Amino acid sequence: MSEPFVRRVAVTGLGAVSGFGTGKDALVAGIKAGRSGIGPIEQFDATGFDHTLAGEVRGFEPAAHLRRPGRWGRSGWFAATAAHEAVRDAGLGPGSLATARTASSFGTTNGESQVLERLAEQVAGRGPAAVSPELAGQADAGRIAAAVAAELGLTGETMTFGTACAAANYAIGYAFDLVRTGEADYALCGGADASNRATHAGFHRLGALAQDVPRPFDRDRDGIVTAEGGVALLLEPLDDALARGARVYAEVLGYGMTCDARHMTNPDAASIAECIRIAQRQAGIKPEEVDYVCAHGTGTRANEVAEVAAVREVFGARVPPISSVKSVLGHTMGAAAGFGALISCVAVDEGFLPPSATLREPDPELGPDLDCVPGVAREARVRVAQNHGFAFGGNNAVTLFGKVAA
Amino acid sequence: MTAVLELDGTRPDTAVADITGCGVLSAAGPGLAVLRGSGWRSPRPGAKPRMSLAALGRAGAPPRTPPDDPDWPPLALAPVAGFDPVETLGRRGIARLSRSEQLAMAACLAALDAVGEGSGVDRTGIVLGTSMGSARAVLDLLRDTFQQARPYLVNPSAFPSTMMVSAAGRAAIRTGLTGVNATVSGGPVAGLHALRYAGQALRNGHADRMLAGAVEELSPEAAWAWYHGKALAAGTPLAEGCAVFTLDAPGTAAGRPLGRILACETAFTADGPAAVSGLLARTVRTALARAGVTAADVTTVVPGAGGRRGWAAVEERALRAVFGAGSPPRLEITGTVGEVHAAGAALQLAAALADPGPDGGLALLTSVGTDGSAGCLVVDLPASLGEVP
Repeated sequence: MSEPFVRRVAVTGLGAVSGFGTGKDALVAGIKAGRSGIGPIEQFDATGFDHTLAGEVRGFEPAAHLRRPGRWGRSGWFAATAAHEAVRDAGLGPGSLATARTASSFGTTNGESQVLERLAEQVAGRGPAAVSPELAGQADAGRIAAAVAAELGLTGETMTFGTACAAANYAIGYAFDLVRTGEADYALCGGADASNRATHAGFHRLGALAQDVPRPFDRDRDGIVTAEGGVALLLEPLDDALARGARVYAEVLGYGMTCDARHMTNPDAASIAECIRIAQRQAGIKPEEVDYVCAHGTGTRANEVAEVAAVREVFGARVPPISSVKSVLGHTMGAAAGFGALISCVAVDEGFLPPSATLREPDPELGPDLDCVPGVAREARVRVAQNHGFAFGGNNAVTLFGKVAA
Repeated sequence: MTAVLELDGTRPDTAVADITGCGVLSAAGPGLAVLRGSGWRSPRPGAKPRMSLAALGRAGAPPRTPPDDPDWPPLALAPVAGFDPVETLGRRGIARLSRSEQLAMAACLAALDAVGEGSGVDRTGIVLGTSMGSARAVLDLLRDTFQQARPYLVNPSAFPSTMMVSAAGRAAIRTGLTGVNATVSGGPVAGLHALRYAGQALRNGHADRMLAGAVEELSPEAAWAWYHGKALAAGTPLAEGCAVFTLDAPGTAAGRPLGRILACETAFTADGPAAVSGLLARTVRTALARAGVTAADVTTVVPGAGGRRGWAAVEERALRAVFGAGSPPRLEITGTVGEVHAAGAALQLAAALADPGPDGGLALLTSVGTDGSAGCLVVDLPASLGEVP
């Protein structure tokens, strides 16, 4: 088979809706300062739960950002609003994407989970006949990428990934391939999920919820904090971005994916290590070129033992600084790898290491000489950032972002 | 050009993938052969899809109308026939698997069995299309959060099955495939999303072989939503099913493929049904151009919207715009397998493969979603060898 036509791909726009509010700047400022975006649960009735904190988006007014918010669920709101922000951030006029082949590629763990929650409320007690067809019509997870396309007036390909907590990395990787090979002129990509009762109950029951805050890499960590949000990256060909004088946060260098194929919920270090190697190989970089690892870092022992073992296997004696923004955001599920990608791009652009804000005492089980960037952000040159996303189902995806020489 | 698949591997540069095996579970029964010869109709504008109750009953599963079961609406239902989960997957752990997981695991196993060795487990991936995963699993878990003494007293072993990722994840565990493992969503177009993803994964070197398809399960809640919304076309049973195809890079597999996917395109519009027609027509023209064929080369059209009230006309308008008066015959799947929603496009492909005709041909599959999605797939079919698996 002939080599397909390929081109370099730049990240030129970033958008976010998070526990820090709407907008990328509030998110980046919050992460750098190590402020917490976590608070009491408001998105569902948390009465009866032992754990009642979540990283929720507070006071979000969809009508302030979207044309037809009534058509979409909360995950769709977040994705579309983040996408609007990313387009604005990229300095592109509203029409330029609509007239081009612009793809919308977004990941999610639970889709329109609040729609499903309302459906469950309808049928609990009254039986399945009580289901509302209008509400059921909003439950399809594919409506997340569709919401982005609809709200931005795009007519290109839409693709919604349901690959759980690695989904945004799948979405970014797919979008990267589309732009790289000329299948699309632009791509908006990222992830979204909404705070919801089912996810909270499920992790609660698994004993995976933290008592108060998530403390990735800490010896006293006790689990995740559920969270929500939406994140979007605008990808375009690097040459086009440079030609129009756009701000290039970073170049997407490549990505890799593996599946453990062993267990639905327990991560596997060997499979994660292989995923990292595949991503680095595809990106054409060596381990020693990576200056920062944006960890999956959920705040559970199972994740971090496997993740750090995998990182040590690939990097050997020189493990780059590794940190988790889940320390301040909580676990935003399908958006999580997208937030990791966003902060990796800004870290490359501005030159800093995002912190593991809540880290007090590193877990000795993870071994010596591990720089988890405790507290607040630290200035550092980041030429290549490696962003991890691992999921239920044993699904791993790693994206790589690099500095474009000025 | 001849529409018959060249067996010397011509046109691999533009083709998407060769279909080398499949696993199909539908109301018509397991496999491809049961789908054969039952859904043909003329492309008369506005023609109602022809119901083929004989086909539905062929594998011992007549459409189920349960007037005495208050959980289900008074709709004809077409559950998957001839599938015994315990026999296929074993007894161990079967009770905690959702219907979607069971169907997907069985179809993936069958698709892999059909091809045997070919590429390493680490270079073989899975991509499954779905609407929202198992609605039943999610709603059952949510019901527990409302009805148990404490809201978190849900069944922990049921939790993974509430995630969309679970069918593909469990299929990977069952098959031991450690390559790319993706789940994509998008109503009736979900199967095309999965097949397109698989094609891109092969082309961009993420895998050497992909199992790609889509799954849908019947649930009372979804059935009531279809019923209340009057969303089904007259005479169409609501159904479930799963079809998974083994895809290899074009020209790389040993033996004769079941078909070669020449193009798979999707697009979106938020401007309503009329715009969806226009978009689908444009998408079909793009796909035909990318496949290196013309509308005149198409020998069969397999539409996707025949089971949904109002949407068949949207799809038909696009087809008339592309084909004009000389429209090729339609292969309508709803009479054979019912309305299978997220598994629709995958079962359309199965129907096309089941019925290549004695001289082979070129099939066009189309699909539209109520959200404004449109997509199509062009598949080159080899001359019929008689028996199909």
